[in-house]
Amino acid sequence: MKRLGFILLILFSTSGFSQNAKEQMLLVKKRHESILAFQANVQVHVDVSFITMPDKEVQAVFQKGEELIVTSEDFVLIPKRGLDLSFSELFEYPYLTVDRGPAEGKAPSIIAVSILPLDNQAEFSVANLRIDTVNHRILWAEINTKEDGTYVLDLTYPDKQAVLPSKLDVSFEIDRIKIPLNFAGNDVSVDRKKTKGSGKKSGKIELLFMYKDIQKSQK
Amino acid sequence: MRRLLYIEAYKLFRQSRTFYAVLALLIIESIVLLSAYFQGTEIIDMVLSNLKDSFYFQGNLLNGNLIIYFILNSFWFHVPLLIMIIVSGMLTTEYEEKTVQTVFMQPVVKWKYVLAKYIVASLFASFLVLLLALTSFILSYGLFGKGDLIVYANGLTFFEQTDAFFRLVYAFLFGTLTLIFFSAVSLTLAVVLKETFKTWIVSALFLIVSTLLLKVDLSNEILNHIVFFKLNNTWQYFFNQEIDWGTITVNSLLIGFYTLITILVGLFLFQRKDIG
Amino acid sequence: MISCKHVNKNYATVRALHNVTISCAKGEVFGLVGANGAGKTTLFKILLGLVTADTGEIEISGEGSKKIGGIIEKPALYPFLNAHENVRLFAKMQNADSSSRAIEKSLKQVGLPLNRMDPVRNFSLGMKQRLGIAVALLNNPSCLLLDEPFSGLDPLGIEALKQLISDLVLRSQMTILISSHIIEVLSTICTKLSIIQNGEIVQSDVTSKILEGCTIGYALSGADIQKAAFLKQYKPVFRGDFAHVSASATEISDIIFSLSQQKIGITSCKPIFDLQQLFNPKRN
Repeated sequence: MKRLGFILLILFSTSGFSQNAKEQMLLVKKRHESILAFQANVQVHVDVSFITMPDKEVQAVFQKGEELIVTSEDFVLIPKRGLDLSFSELFEYPYLTVDRGPAEGKAPSIIAVSILPLDNQAEFSVANLRIDTVNHRILWAEINTKEDGTYVLDLTYPDKQAVLPSKLDVSFEIDRIKIPLNFAGNDVSVDRKKTKGSGKKSGKIELLFMYKDIQKSQK
Repeated sequence: MRRLLYIEAYKLFRQSRTFYAVLALLIIESIVLLSAYFQGTEIIDMVLSNLKDSFYFQGNLLNGNLIIYFILNSFWFHVPLLIMIIVSGMLTTEYEEKTVQTVFMQPVVKWKYVLAKYIVASLFASFLVLLLALTSFILSYGLFGKGDLIVYANGLTFFEQTDAFFRLVYAFLFGTLTLIFFSAVSLTLAVVLKETFKTWIVSALFLIVSTLLLKVDLSNEILNHIVFFKLNNTWQYFFNQEIDWGTITVNSLLIGFYTLITILVGLFLFQRKDIG
Repeated sequence: MISCKHVNKNYATVRALHNVTISCAKGEVFGLVGANGAGKTTLFKILLGLVTADTGEIEISGEGSKKIGGIIEKPALYPFLNAHENVRLFAKMQNADSSSRAIEKSLKQVGLPLNRMDPVRNFSLGMKQRLGIAVALLNNPSCLLLDEPFSGLDPLGIEALKQLISDLVLRSQMTILISSHIIEVLSTICTKLSIIQNGEIVQSDVTSKILEGCTIGYALSGADIQKAAFLKQYKPVFRGDFAHVSASATEISDIIFSLSQQKIGITSCKPIFDLQQLFNPKRN
């Protein structure tokens, strides 16, 4: 009996917190979904151990319901994941919110939350988020996709009102690249120890957004 | 001395074999350009295949800069070989046709005569590099446009198009020094051997051995940096992210030094030898 | 004038020249006669400065930057250039006048046509010889060396070259040295002869004396030569209209006088040389 009571206490207490986390998520969802469109110049910095690339500037155009369009005159690597600043992917299907408790970070009040989609059509299996509970926005996200591995988003906002980040870091894993020898420089020596092993390398893309035009919904 | 320089240049460009060599180089360059285009597509696809999982690509990497880079990579055997053949012929044919006797029955100073050949050979090598560079740039940019350059050297390095252009130009410029060195070697071999076919064979041997020894580790750090066959790849330093101007300058001076020594040996031997 | 004294030259195991001394005054035509490999070309190369003698002195007098010009063996010219271009090239390299007028004068001097514009590789040997001489004469040297200039020429070519040489001597008092193994040709144009064998000068004198020393007879030709009965004392050998007689240089003038008295016409009278005598003269 005592044990049953203890279990019920735990369940009620977590459901109480889950209620809070769920509400927070709804507020966050509403906030992020308020973005209808924007245009921005984005500075792209590639931070991958085996890639050396100068910073590039691209033009980004977002329309709600459509993919982000990125254009550039030069060659540029655009991360496949993480550019959906409305996080519509997370909220597309019904989900379960799990409260992970308070977390530390760039804002005074942050909670850690996990989102589990309830529909098999969702492209991710679980998303771990850190939410700014005061300004109702996502500060950090680790999204485990079903087919494309895991990527991490680290968002920095210019001010308290902003719902679009000024800086977005997208981190992910990349397979080692295969280089045909006749493309390699003549002085290249192949380090066989390095080329053996897991073959996965980590990488990060840092995006700095300079918004030219932001359209939000009035609600 | 100016008269002798004019005369050597005049003789060089009045002979049809010079134009055959230039034509051969242009044909080879065209073949390399075409194969670079077709191979380049495969190579880019292969290199970027793993990145495709994580990235979209904006822009075209198979552009004029990459084609020029491929041409530059393929430069370092057939171009010096043809130059060595033409340059050595500047002296060996004079021995075989005995016009060198006719020359020295005129009041001509021996060392000036052969120095003029060295100078004209160097200018000819420079001219060929300029011609190849110009045609590479014009054809590559004309057909394939400009864009960022991707290079593999212990990782993928991307250069913006303007930056890539200057690096390619510097690489061609440095390559000129190497070709001047090879042309000096072939002339000196001509002084020693006098016969055309012998000189061709030994010149080709020198080039092949230099190319092979490039990959050999001499187990001595100093030797690895100063031996002449290790300097021929210095143009690749222009495709590191940070250009090591110090090393490039030292290597340039070393190649200049080796060229000078080769010329001085040739002058000394020619001055000492009887004609005929 | 040109002279060399006690010149020696050795190549590895071969003694090319041994104690060679010759001299040639201004306006003389000097002939150097020797078999193939006797050392003629080596000596000429030394005189032209192409080869350095081991020992000995060379003296060449004259004015200007080019005291001596010459041709060694075959004339060596740039086959891909025409006559004008060859002369211009060689003139330019020694700072001689390379204007069109000067070049035309050079070509005229040696009897070459001015309108021939094809490359020298198409020229006959005779024309190449002339062009070689034109190049050798650039910058007005005081001496001209011609090594085996008559080799490979037909009789007309030989005559034309002989005429050219005579004209050069007449016009410019040039000293000319000619080497050949054909004594018959040299004997008609040279004022002095030296005979070289195995790198040594075996005799050197005016042409007439040299020839006198080695003449063992004469070849006379005439339609009625066989009617000259007096020739019997000279041990004649008759072949058609030719008679080979054993007579000395002094006796031949008596023979010709006698033939003319008998009204027996002769169309030619050529000396017959004993080459053994030429290359191994008897010491008196």
